[in-house]
Amino acid sequence: MAKPRVGIFGLTSCAGDQLVVVNLEDELLDIVGAIDLRSFIMAASHPVEDEFDVALVEGSVVTGEDEERVKDIRAKSKLLGAIGTCAVWGGIPGALNHVGRNTLYQAVYGTEEDLFKAREARPLRDVVKVDFSLSGCPVEKHQLVQALLSLLHGDLPSFPTVPVCQDCRFKENVCLLKTKGQLCLGPVTAGGCLARCPSHNIGCEGCHGPLDEVNFAAEAALLEEKGLPRERIARVVRNFAHQADLARIM
Amino acid sequence: MSKRELRLGNVRVLPKDLFPDFVKGLALFGKVYAPVVRPDGAHVFSPVERVADIDMAHPRTMLSPKKYLFPPETEMYQFSPEKGYFDPPVDTAKTVLLGVHPCDINGMLILDEVFRRYYVEPRYFARRQSLAVIGSSCEPDDKCFCKSMHSEYVDKGFDLFLTDIGDAHFVRMGTSIGDDIVAANPAVFRPVEDEDVRAYKHAENCRAQAYKAQVELDSLPQILELEYDSRVWKEAGDKCLSCGTCSSVCPTCYCYDLFDRLNLDVASGARVRRWDSCLFREHALVAGGHNFRDGRDSRMKNRYFHKQVGFVSEFGRPSCVGCGRCIEACPANISIIEMIKSLREEVKV
Repeated sequence: MAKPRVGIFGLTSCAGDQLVVVNLEDELLDIVGAIDLRSFIMAASHPVEDEFDVALVEGSVVTGEDEERVKDIRAKSKLLGAIGTCAVWGGIPGALNHVGRNTLYQAVYGTEEDLFKAREARPLRDVVKVDFSLSGCPVEKHQLVQALLSLLHGDLPSFPTVPVCQDCRFKENVCLLKTKGQLCLGPVTAGGCLARCPSHNIGCEGCHGPLDEVNFAAEAALLEEKGLPRERIARVVRNFAHQADLARIM
Repeated sequence: MSKRELRLGNVRVLPKDLFPDFVKGLALFGKVYAPVVRPDGAHVFSPVERVADIDMAHPRTMLSPKKYLFPPETEMYQFSPEKGYFDPPVDTAKTVLLGVHPCDINGMLILDEVFRRYYVEPRYFARRQSLAVIGSSCEPDDKCFCKSMHSEYVDKGFDLFLTDIGDAHFVRMGTSIGDDIVAANPAVFRPVEDEDVRAYKHAENCRAQAYKAQVELDSLPQILELEYDSRVWKEAGDKCLSCGTCSSVCPTCYCYDLFDRLNLDVASGARVRRWDSCLFREHALVAGGHNFRDGRDSRMKNRYFHKQVGFVSEFGRPSCVGCGRCIEACPANISIIEMIKSLREEVKV
């Protein structure tokens, strides 16, 4: 059987998810050996971009170039996966979506001129059909490996869709939200991180983005009850998943 | 041998100053796990490194001993093209669980029933058989309602049971293993005197008086059925965060999810069992995208109905043991005590 042709791409983002691929030290040779990696500009020059069985795309769609690029990748790929919270939720490039691009241009470049045909940061699914998603800022190594192995096996990647809280309970962490009144988005955030931040007494900031169905209203009400201002809550929610924020909290 | 010794042959007294020797002596029967106080103040069942870390009078541990019998994540089986399906090794190292409260012992007895009712779950019982259980008495706090759930006392499910009677523990032997532990450590136990019996009765009476929280169990299944459409569910569903904490900390919740974890050869791997929660949206999601319990209120209701209705008709008792963990841990401050009180109010028409 021919090795699956794979391309790994980045749109507007920090390239952190692509870096996770490169950092798969123990697994990288096995995985790269099992696939035909045709385009991965972070690791290899001379990309070949005709057809892909699987495209992994990180980053959000911000510029006109991003939009063209992801549409082109889509057209060439049988399966397209969004990797990282930028690709799945808009991520950090969307944190200031509500401010408006003109204002941001003015603040950063001193002009309101549309330099990059930039729009509000959008997740891939707003622009193209996405076949599977793997959130995380960056994606979790262990989930990325399982996702790639699933694809090699012929399955779409799938993970238990549970909140961060579940791993906190498994680790018998003291609940930062309940016990310490800290701003923790664990209950509304997709798990997979093994409760990394709460395990170090840092409230979850929602870097994996929200679960499909979350009770933002109750979470926000609880945090307000604990004395946290609504604007601060909204800001933290916006950091990684502006879309969720708009739809569900503001 | 005196008449008293014959009559009270299965009880002893363990003076507290000999407790460290007692714990040392337990090593013969397995690795000792007990509730220890972590630096952050939380009580967790952990391997005992120093006897001084043990807190037998803990209000409740974060997780119950369920975690040793039915761990949060385990491999059900492994598979490979060469060997087919095969069992992963089960850790059956001899283990002593020290300081298990009656609610948690009853929780284990409930899990025993569940895991052998239709199919015997061999991994569970392999672990179960490697456990020695040393129960201990407790002081109910404002979240304990084990008495309402008839779980405040145990007459089985332990090898030894220690009741605090002041400067000593009153020790009941429940099994031959308990008897062996006593026989192997003759220096730490003394026979029971009249005064010890009086102190034991007094301790039990004080404990019975100490309960503050209560859930009225009478006709509860019927009340829940009558209040199936009550606003109480809707209100709780609006508060619930679907975080699944109640299920994780519950000593009797046993629902799990299954998924495969592949090895790098993409041909071998393991089928993994992971604790699930009926409060998670995907718990009742089926092929085609239909969800039997799409709303949080219906998921909340399902949890109560399973524990207080379905389990009662199938096993003759609720699967709740009144340990109070779900009340203590719920970030949304939903309390089963208040929920049931509210539902009972609804039937007063």
